[in-house]
Amino acid sequence: MNLANLIGFKRAAAIARKEARHVLRDPLTLGLAIGFPLMYVGIFGVAIELDAKDIRIAVEDGDRTQSSRALVDVFRNSGAFLPHPVAAGSDVQKLLSAERDKAVLIIEPEFERMLALGGEPKVQIVVDGSDNSATSGILSELGGLQAFANARIVPGARPPPLRLVTRFLYNEELNSKFFIIPGLCVVVMGILSILLTALTVAREWESGAMEQLLATPVRPLDIVVGKLAPYMALGFGAVLLIYVAARIGFGVPFRGSHWLFLLGCLLFQVSYLAMGLFISVSSRSILVSVQASMILGFMPSILLSGFIFPVESMPAFFRALSGAFPARWFMIICRDSFLKSGASGDLLKPFLVLAGMDIAILALAALRFKTDLEP
Amino acid sequence: MIAVLYQFARKELVQTLRDRRMRVFLFVMPVVQLMLFGFALSSEVRNTRLSIEAPPGDALIHDIYRDAVGSGWFVPAGSKLSDPYARIEAGDADAVLVAPTGGLDRAMERGGAQVQLLVNGSNVVRARAIEAYLSAIVASAAAERAAGRSAAAGPAPSLNMSVRVLFNPELDTPTFMVPGIMAQLVTLLTIVLTSQSLAREKERGTFETLIAAPVQVWELILGKSIPYLLLGMIQIPLVLGAAVVAFGVPVRGPLWIVALAAMTYLCATVSLGILIATFCRNQQQATMAGMLVNMPALILSGILYPVHTMPLVLRAFTYVNPVTYFAELLRNVLLKGGNPQLVLRDMAALMAIAAVLTAISVRRFTATL
Repeated sequence: MNLANLIGFKRAAAIARKEARHVLRDPLTLGLAIGFPLMYVGIFGVAIELDAKDIRIAVEDGDRTQSSRALVDVFRNSGAFLPHPVAAGSDVQKLLSAERDKAVLIIEPEFERMLALGGEPKVQIVVDGSDNSATSGILSELGGLQAFANARIVPGARPPPLRLVTRFLYNEELNSKFFIIPGLCVVVMGILSILLTALTVAREWESGAMEQLLATPVRPLDIVVGKLAPYMALGFGAVLLIYVAARIGFGVPFRGSHWLFLLGCLLFQVSYLAMGLFISVSSRSILVSVQASMILGFMPSILLSGFIFPVESMPAFFRALSGAFPARWFMIICRDSFLKSGASGDLLKPFLVLAGMDIAILALAALRFKTDLEP
Repeated sequence: MIAVLYQFARKELVQTLRDRRMRVFLFVMPVVQLMLFGFALSSEVRNTRLSIEAPPGDALIHDIYRDAVGSGWFVPAGSKLSDPYARIEAGDADAVLVAPTGGLDRAMERGGAQVQLLVNGSNVVRARAIEAYLSAIVASAAAERAAGRSAAAGPAPSLNMSVRVLFNPELDTPTFMVPGIMAQLVTLLTIVLTSQSLAREKERGTFETLIAAPVQVWELILGKSIPYLLLGMIQIPLVLGAAVVAFGVPVRGPLWIVALAAMTYLCATVSLGILIATFCRNQQQATMAGMLVNMPALILSGILYPVHTMPLVLRAFTYVNPVTYFAELLRNVLLKGGNPQLVLRDMAALMAIAAVLTAISVRRFTATL
């Protein structure tokens, strides 16, 4: 049996046409396919600022001298903090539990006099530890501020004997958009393809239309290929949308090879479409399909892929777990394609792993599909 | 009347809990997700592969390298490549410390020495943390060296900022995350379940039967919402209990406030579920719409990302988003013991949002009958 015989292209194309019509007729599916990537790019691209910026900090200035005001100015001019005065001696616990300020800066009386005498005046910073989005930003900002304040305010301060000069490769200004937006390709493609396939194929089972399809001379493999083709097109459309938004809207560079990136998209999408198929064939119900695709598609592609939370920091078990999902490998391909030149062949491993996963998941889905048909 | 409601709600609960997979989804998944957040996801940056480029006998930079590896944040990176840029390009290392030509020790003797740090900047969060950790390590190594050399000159005058972290001094990730995750879990569950159950009746045609039955509209609405409200109320203590037992998340405020806020909040989400269902014809649409609403509701709530840096349009959305108030209230009560003014404000906001959503969804529901 040759390949052309195995997949009757005509029959598959007919199924694909039917499925495409399904999609086009259903405004919600189409809206989801277009609105979903747009919304993600809009929200993640515009709303999320990973830099510490304009963090409200209450200042209890017990000294009220030129030096103490200079210290507050160091905070203000850093851009990370938005200091505003409160009465000295206010209850710190109360200030922070009112949720208006994320930190309190306490300058003790005698600050200037101590400085002039060459002592070590105490400055205290109390940080609200309940909000992780602010706390880590504040803490990493303070180190730099301390050195700067030293040089500015302390009379007779010696320059530090050793300086660390940092160069950030691939993203010199540490622009958070360069980090977030390439990752969106993974998130959007992953969620869209697994959800759409799981839902549509499950609907076919639930309404009994699948039995009718199977009773026609169309082969199971034709059905699968035909059904998945339109969703593949939708997925690629979503990636194209993100690509355009990234390059034009946010000025993200693309330094790698477009061909390799496309190949990565293809491999990733096949794995998730096959997973969606597997889910819907196994569950045959919309409700369960949705839950399963949430668990297999949504969570791994957002939480375990390294999109926001670095994989390298996870405990060994979860690092291994994240490696079992295609999203993590495609994330590497995506980020490297946008930011690195990708010339050194370190993408070989992600590509090989993705290809291997494709074969495994496809085989599993096909097997399940076949055994399901024979009662 | 009460009997009708009771029967209705019972039917709904039985229908939902009958499915074994549904029970798993309802009661096991939230705990699993909580564990995932607690154990796996942290904003700490660990296991950074660090390598150095320095002459073999250069003591100070090797000290710095040893300190870095000893701190637990960094692991040594092996590479066959000699060019520091190539090591990062090839993915062998995340960061490379480069000594000045001639060695750091000699540069220190001349004064004004510099160490160069190359960091892979493609992950912004990691890159920033790597720089912060290493600059602290470099500064303390240099200070140690200086103290050893110039004990006679006395310490340089300096300003000392002491940092104290309140409410979560160890910067424990689960403590950060749990209040937000609790809000997230019940949101998705109640919205999707409520809208799905209504959409299923529509899809199967049983909705007509329901309307034709001698049931009042409000009984219908209550009968469809109370079961999901109850399920949500069962989930909250489940997740909170797991958080307290497994991660030692503190409960510093009164729990009845948490219960009251949860109740109000669930009224809002269940109403939203009903509202979504009025726009949908089948379960597929209801699910997609639910997920579509859920995502921005979570991102634009301050659970994971700060709200104050968002552009005005998006910030406006955070002010009408019930998740914002529920998560803030949970965090405040659990970790800080509950500030009366803030609790009142958030409760009032939650009640107002719940009332508006209920009014809109009841109107839409009666209009579509």
